[in-house]
Amino acid sequence: MNHAASNSLVIAEAAKCIGCKACELACFAVHNRDNGVGTAVGTVTMPVLPRLYVIRTDSFTMPVQCRQCENAPCAGACPVQAIRQQDGVIAIDAEACIGCKACALACPFGAISLYKAYSGGAELPQPLLQERRDSRLQRKTRITAYKCDLCRNTELPGGSAAGEGAGGRGSSAAAAQDRNPFPACVAVCPEKALRLVEAGTGRSRSLNREGGTF
Amino acid sequence: MPSSEPIIHIDSELCTGCRRCAAVCPVDAITGEPGEPQTVDAHRCVICGQCVQICTAYAPDHLEASDGLKAKRLQRGQLPSVREPLFAAYSTGQALEVKRALADSALFKVVQCAPAIRVSLAEEFGLPLGTLTPGKMAAALRRLKFDRIYDTNFGADVTIMEEGTELIGRVLSGERLPMFTSCCPAWVKHAETAAPELLDHLSSCKSPMQMVGALVKTYGAKQDGVDPAKIYSVAVMPCTCKEFECSREEMEVDGLREVDVVITTRELAHLIKDAGIDFVNLPDEPFDSPLGLYSGAGSIFGVTGGVMEAAIRTGYELVTHETIPNLQLDFVRGEEGLRTATVQLGELELKVAVVAGLKYVSAVLNQVKAGHCPYHFIEVMGCPEGCVSGGGQPKLLLETLRKTAYQARKSSVYRHDSHQQVRKSHENPAIIKLYKDFLGEPLGHVPHHLLHTTYQSREKNVSPISAGRKGGKL
Repeated sequence: MNHAASNSLVIAEAAKCIGCKACELACFAVHNRDNGVGTAVGTVTMPVLPRLYVIRTDSFTMPVQCRQCENAPCAGACPVQAIRQQDGVIAIDAEACIGCKACALACPFGAISLYKAYSGGAELPQPLLQERRDSRLQRKTRITAYKCDLCRNTELPGGSAAGEGAGGRGSSAAAAQDRNPFPACVAVCPEKALRLVEAGTGRSRSLNREGGTF
Repeated sequence: MPSSEPIIHIDSELCTGCRRCAAVCPVDAITGEPGEPQTVDAHRCVICGQCVQICTAYAPDHLEASDGLKAKRLQRGQLPSVREPLFAAYSTGQALEVKRALADSALFKVVQCAPAIRVSLAEEFGLPLGTLTPGKMAAALRRLKFDRIYDTNFGADVTIMEEGTELIGRVLSGERLPMFTSCCPAWVKHAETAAPELLDHLSSCKSPMQMVGALVKTYGAKQDGVDPAKIYSVAVMPCTCKEFECSREEMEVDGLREVDVVITTRELAHLIKDAGIDFVNLPDEPFDSPLGLYSGAGSIFGVTGGVMEAAIRTGYELVTHETIPNLQLDFVRGEEGLRTATVQLGELELKVAVVAGLKYVSAVLNQVKAGHCPYHFIEVMGCPEGCVSGGGQPKLLLETLRKTAYQARKSSVYRHDSHQQVRKSHENPAIIKLYKDFLGEPLGHVPHHLLHTTYQSREKNVSPISAGRKGGKL
C-alpha cells in the first residue's frame, strides 16, 4: 500500500491526558502572533480560540483535533472551495471562508469550530452585514472556520529572548528557524499524551527528548 | 480587599483537576482528587504563586456573554479593562485599590519596585523575554501619577549593610549559626510554619521592601517635608506573598503601615494599560532621589544567589579592609536547588549555601535541627530561580518557554548590575548619606527600631492569615 500521499496528523492517548488544557492554550498562542499574542498571558486581548479541544467524559479526558482526512468531507462540503489539500495538510483559507458551517457539520470528529475573526487583537468587521447591538446598527463581526493545521507556518511567539546566552531563537533569525518543529500541542503536553503521526512512514513522534524542542 | 482572606485561590468552576499545581507546590498545600477541583490549604500555603504560574485551565469565552467573567474579574480584584484570559489558579489583586488611591489628591503617593520587575514588565507589552526597562518603568509610574518613584533596590543595599553586619557579628561570636536570609516572605512563612524552633536562625532584618517602606515614612517624609500619615506607600513586586508580608502586624513604623499595598508585575501592567500609556514608546526616565538610588549589588537581589553575592561583596571588604578582587562571584550563580561554597574572608573561612526553591530547604532545616549544619550563612528563596520566577511575574503562555524566560530575566539582572557605576552596597553614596544623616551605625538604635523585626510560630491550628492585619487608608 502506498502511503506516500497521506497526511500527517496529531492524535492523543486518553489514558495519559490529565485535562490541563495546556495544548489548547499553546495552540492559541502560536496561531495569534498577528493578534499581538506574545509570550505572556498579558499580551492577550481576545478570547482564547484553540484549534483543538480537550473533551471530558465521566471516565476520561483527551484532546480532539482534525485528523487531516484523506478524502476530507469538510472540503467536499465547502461551497466556496476554501478548504484545500496543501503541503500535507487539509487547510482552511480564512479569507475565502464564508462561515456557512457546512464543514463543521460534515466533520465526523467535531474538529472544526466557527469563531469570530480577529485582526490586531480586535474583532474583524464583516464588510456588508450589520446587526443591532446596544440599540444601534453596527457592522457584524466576521466569522471564520478554525481547525488544526499542524502548526504549519506558525512561529514561536515573543521573538528573541533579550538576555545574553538565553538560548532563545530570535525573530531576527531566519524565519525558517523560527518555525515550530513540532505542533505546539505536542511540544507542550506535560504528560506526552499527544504525538505527531508522520505522513507516509507510519512512524509517530512524541516529544520524548529532554528539554523539548522549543 | 480584606486581608483576612487568603491571597491564593483555585476557582472550583474552572479547575479541571489536572494537579499540575500540586506537583509544583513546594509545601504540598494543594489537595484534591485527580479530575476534581483542587483546594489550597491556607495554613501550609506559602503564597509563592507557583501554582498561579503553571495553571493552564482557562475560562472559556462563552462565560463572557453571561457576565460570568466580569464577576470573576471583580472577585479577583482585577480592573474591568483587563482582557487577558482567566485561569483556575489565581491570586487576588490590589489594582483597583491602587487606582482609587492614585486619583486621590490628598495622598502623597510613593511607589517602590523590586529588582525583578524591570527585567520582566516589558514582556506584558509584547517585548522579548527579559527585556530590561528600568527607565520606561520609572516613566510609566510617573505617568500613573505617583509623586515619588523609589526603588526596592535601595532597600536591598540597606539590607546588605544591616544583614552583613549582623552576619559578621554572629560569626565572630559563634551565636545562632547558621544565619538564614529573611528577604523572602514565602520562606519566612514556611520557617514559621515548618520550623518555628529555628526562627532565631533567621536574620532579624526586614525584607528590602519593608525597609524602604519604613524609610519612606520617616527619612523620605522628612526629605520631602510631607506628613507621614499622608503618604500612601505602594510596592510593585514579582511576588504574590509580599501582600501577606506587608499586612503582618509587625510591619509598621510609629503606628503607620510601612507598605500600604502591594501589586504584582502583572497588575502594574494592567494599570499601565488601563491608563492608556504607550509603554513601548516611553522615554527612559530616572528614579527619584534619595530612595531610588541603588548599586549593582542591590539589583541582583532579584535572582537566586543575588543576596549572597551582594553580601559577600560588602562582607569581604568590611572584614579584610581590602578591595574584593573579583565582583562577579560565579560560585553562587546558577540554578541548582542547593549550591554551596567556601569563601575566604581574610582569615575567616565562610561557608555559605544558596537554596532556590522551598522544596530543597527541608534537608538543610533537618541538618540545623540535628546540630550539624556546616554553613555560616544560607540564602533561601521560595521560587525556583529567585524572584525572577516569582508568582506575580508575567505568566507564560507556553510551558516550553519557561527555561528560556527565566534565563533571559536572569541575564538581564546580571547585565544591569555589570553596567552600574557603583556595584557594592557600602559604596552607594545615597546609602553612605543615609547612615551619616539618619540611621547612624548598622544595627544601631535607629536601624533596630526601623529595619529589624521578630518572627512568630505558626504551628498547626493557628490561622496564619489572621495573624496579620491590614491598616490601609482606603
